[in-house]
Amino acid sequence: MASFRRHVIAVVLGIAVPLAGLIALEIASRSGWVNPTFLPPPSTILATFWGIIASGSFIAPLGQTLLLLFTGYGIGCAAAIALGVLMGSSRPVFNLFEPLTELLRPLPKPALLPALILFLGLGARMEITIVALGCFFPVLINTIQGVRAVEPTMINTARTFGHGPMAIWRRILLPASAPYILAGMRISLGLGLILVVTAEMIAGSGGLGDSILSAQRTFLVKESYAWLVVLALLGLLLTWLFTWVERRLAFWNAPQVQ
Amino acid sequence: MSIVTHRRSMRTGAGAPVAGSRLLVDEIGKSFLGPDGGTIAAIGNVSLDVAPGEFLAIVGPSGCGKSTLLQVIAGLMLPSSGKVRLGEHDVTGEPAHMVYLFQQYSKSLLPWMTVANNVMFAFSHRLKLSSNAAAARCRDYLAMVGLADFAQHYPWQLSGGMQQRVAIARALAAEPQVLLMDEPFSSVDALTRLDLHALILDLWTEKRFTAVLVTHDVDEAIFLADRVAVLTQRPAMLSEVIETKLPRPRHAIETRESRAFLALRHRLLKYLLARNQDGAHG
Repeated sequence: MASFRRHVIAVVLGIAVPLAGLIALEIASRSGWVNPTFLPPPSTILATFWGIIASGSFIAPLGQTLLLLFTGYGIGCAAAIALGVLMGSSRPVFNLFEPLTELLRPLPKPALLPALILFLGLGARMEITIVALGCFFPVLINTIQGVRAVEPTMINTARTFGHGPMAIWRRILLPASAPYILAGMRISLGLGLILVVTAEMIAGSGGLGDSILSAQRTFLVKESYAWLVVLALLGLLLTWLFTWVERRLAFWNAPQVQ
Repeated sequence: MSIVTHRRSMRTGAGAPVAGSRLLVDEIGKSFLGPDGGTIAAIGNVSLDVAPGEFLAIVGPSGCGKSTLLQVIAGLMLPSSGKVRLGEHDVTGEPAHMVYLFQQYSKSLLPWMTVANNVMFAFSHRLKLSSNAAAARCRDYLAMVGLADFAQHYPWQLSGGMQQRVAIARALAAEPQVLLMDEPFSSVDALTRLDLHALILDLWTEKRFTAVLVTHDVDEAIFLADRVAVLTQRPAMLSEVIETKLPRPRHAIETRESRAFLALRHRLLKYLLARNQDGAHG
């Protein structure tokens, strides 16, 4: 019971700060301290948000953003895991690709947008590519580290029972480095969301990023903020979802939780 | 937990004992590349001749290259000179009939697999068994080590001694002719160790595999083995091989209190301690 009470107190405290912030903004906007044209009272933004949800008009932009995000994320992660396992387990392969990846990794990915637009235009291909590029590097770095951190004893165990190199990849290296790979994928998911929204704002062909920017440009300020709320909730939902997946896939990494 | 009770639960015919082959370690030498570019000799020149079904223990001061020697025998590492033969065949990679039991069960058992899947990892890729047959074989071997009820647990849910039992069950489920053991009893508490000694002797008596045990525990070596090979400081050389000649079956308490046991212990400890001091002063 004590733990339940502590839990309730934690939730109440957690809600208190955002609620206080919203009330402050409400007062600021209504009293005219802040120009209501730039920041409408949160209560009116919330009403607009409910309108978007109730009318179902959020479905198309959200669906487009999710589709682009997950396509790019999937491609980026899959490529990074494949190359990362190779680079982590083979010194020559590592030496071959390391200078290139170290050159491209620190580059802020939005800087690549102009070049990508030249080659791929302002559509889904460009948006998916920028997301894939952004998601690639954190997963690559973590996969290399994860594969290197695999206990030699585990590999020797597989060898002593006569497992070949392919089986060692699939049954030892991949699962053993899964906690590292998933940590990289968690970072990439956040990056992917940033990049898909940025790309949508530039492409202007639909999606949540486009919705936020177009609403602002057409002086639909309340709508612009309401789309921001949709985006914030999407981010929260993705984090929860990822934590759930991570717990299931790397359940053995935190035995104390059991 | 008594050894006797879980021996009874064992089904007979769960893999007949394999006709063994002689294990020949022929003038093995092993050196590594040192940090300064020079070579560091780990094993000088070691020859051993292990009869099928024999229990050989290898003792030596810590860091003398015992584990390296065992890994070379297992084919996990190539020797710099000499060769290992099992029966008619030279050992050049991991041979199908030898299994290595590691000291660190926590690193050797795969934490993402259940106990049952860990055991099946030893044989399911080699034998195309139906899932029923594979499960039955898995059950048999887990029953032999008294863990039939823990098949669906994960290794990290078990105690250290139980984990090493799983590792033993997994090693034997591959039905090896030769079981190579690298200090497998050194990371469990003293009582569990005695329990595991009895277990491994029971299983060895039943299955008649050739056993090679590397250990720094003189008592353990004498208690378990037919012969004890003593290695020198690095680079390891064979200094002598002693036949224990203790009667079997051996008993946890009586055997250790017998005159013959104490005499062997005296001789080996004296020898190893003198060696250690040589090393310390030289």
